[in-house]
Amino acid sequence: MTFSMNKYDKILIIVILISSLLLYGTMEWFVRSTTSDQTVAVVSYRDKEILRVDMKIDDTYIVQGTLGEVFIEVESGRIRVEKETSPYNLCSIQGWVEYANVPIVCLPNHIVVMIQNSEEDPNGEDSVIQ
Amino acid sequence: MKRHSPTRRLTLITMLLAMSILMHMIEPSLPIPIPGVKLGLANILGLITMFLFGIKSMIMLNFMRVIIASLLRGIIFGTGFWLSMGGVILSTFITIVLHKKSKLSPVGLSVASSAFHGLGQILVLMFINDTVMMIYWLPLLWFSSVPTGMVTGTLSAQVLKRLKV
Repeated sequence: MTFSMNKYDKILIIVILISSLLLYGTMEWFVRSTTSDQTVAVVSYRDKEILRVDMKIDDTYIVQGTLGEVFIEVESGRIRVEKETSPYNLCSIQGWVEYANVPIVCLPNHIVVMIQNSEEDPNGEDSVIQ
Repeated sequence: MKRHSPTRRLTLITMLLAMSILMHMIEPSLPIPIPGVKLGLANILGLITMFLFGIKSMIMLNFMRVIIASLLRGIIFGTGFWLSMGGVILSTFITIVLHKKSKLSPVGLSVASSAFHGLGQILVLMFINDTVMMIYWLPLLWFSSVPTGMVTGTLSAQVLKRLKV
């Protein structure tokens, strides 16, 4: 019995590589096409919403996490955790987030930042007339 | 596969199981820069067992490995345990199917098993966290399953070439 690589292995490897790229492409396209122009970032501490940030306004916000203050910065439609106190600083290393597919999670601080489409529909004025 | 006396067979499988538990336990301490990606060294022992002792032994080895390693680490029935379990169920399943239905070598089997291990873990995470967001991790896991699977597959192929039991 031979154990070396054969052509079936190569086919399988190519199939997996192509399908991972296709999956990535589809997901990126899906997220970009479903993210509207008006987004808000919802900041929660231990699953409770503590702050709702308009992504249109550039500003810096400070929230209280488990290990200390977490500085959240919004700039030109993007959001990031600027600095925070944690063993590995993973969420400030993560950098800017623009679309709703990637949450920023500061696990040691129990802070989660998620981007959502804001409820205000730009064409919604007609529907509220009674 | 040669016929062994039951005692010899049991001893050999037990030694393979001990080694796979060891691999499972030391794996998290290996530094890999991408979060969520690991080599899957324990799968080397799973593949060797399948080629030497057949499919039933591999199923037993893989499940015993997850259960005993979780018991030793004290995380049994925790999130980590269910993650390993979800991964091992799908990866064992796909290895058996591909081994029976295709002519893949250990390298290909290892890549497929690694990819489905990732898929199983993501399905469990989606169930535990009650969110479909985890699916965005799948392309990265599948992409990285090719190099990691090739490493573990090549290692098990080399061991199988040299090992005479």
